[in-house]
Amino acid sequence: MENNFENKEMTAQESLGIITEMMNNSRRSILQNSAKHFILWGALLTVMSLLIYELIHVTHDPIWNMLWFAMPLIGFPMAHFIGKSKVALPQNIISKQLHGIWLAYCAFAVVISAVFMFIAPQNLTLVIILAFGFAECVSGITLKNWAIIVGGFILGIGGAIAAIILRSEAQLLLFTLCGVILMITGFIVKSQSK
Amino acid sequence: MFPKLDPILHSELRLAVMSILAGVESAEFSYIKKQTGATSGNLSVQIDKLSAAGYISVEKGFKGKVPCTTCKITPAGLAAFENYVNSLKEYLI
Repeated sequence: MENNFENKEMTAQESLGIITEMMNNSRRSILQNSAKHFILWGALLTVMSLLIYELIHVTHDPIWNMLWFAMPLIGFPMAHFIGKSKVALPQNIISKQLHGIWLAYCAFAVVISAVFMFIAPQNLTLVIILAFGFAECVSGITLKNWAIIVGGFILGIGGAIAAIILRSEAQLLLFTLCGVILMITGFIVKSQSK
Repeated sequence: MFPKLDPILHSELRLAVMSILAGVESAEFSYIKKQTGATSGNLSVQIDKLSAAGYISVEKGFKGKVPCTTCKITPAGLAAFENYVNSLKEYLI
């Protein structure tokens, strides 16, 4: 950072310049960190869905779906690792809301998956993908980005319809699409923060 | 007649610190130092002045074995900051 503020008097114009610069720089640093998390979870979701799809495709055994429960176990330590830096980044209202939205989604997804898999079998993909689209849509509203809002809406509604039409094995590829959308969201956030 | 600008805020480094803290929940000393590019000594002095004015709260603790200072804007600080920005607008219009 090339700024080096002296403790000197300044004009109204200079004051406003400092306020704008500091707020923008801080916002950028925080959003870049959020972007890293979107890309990480998107990549992990893409890899996991393709892996499970391939394993079920080869063995014809749906037991491999249990691997989904490993995703938070792998993802959270990785997220903790990439969030670590020499200088601890603070939270602003946007990063805090994004964190809350996706943490809530994760909790819903894990609990509803367990209920549908072990207690009351239903079309799990339909519910998970609808909730995913909703979380993506709300993230877009938080980030004030129309591409993310519309993308989340189309993914949620389109994915739910596709989950009714597609057979269970092919439904897994819908999660690959979700992973790709998450990564794209991360790159949009990254470009927004430049 | 232009309103008098708050002398506590009308200083480059203190204003920079307040601008950062106004947008976040709280921030560590190291983050503020990185964002402002100020020296530790100068930043400490300015943070003390903001704290003495009641504009920020400072919490000293430890992160593991490393000392860690966390700053947070107070409601009085936020009100003063808003007032300062509103006064600036009158100068610029």
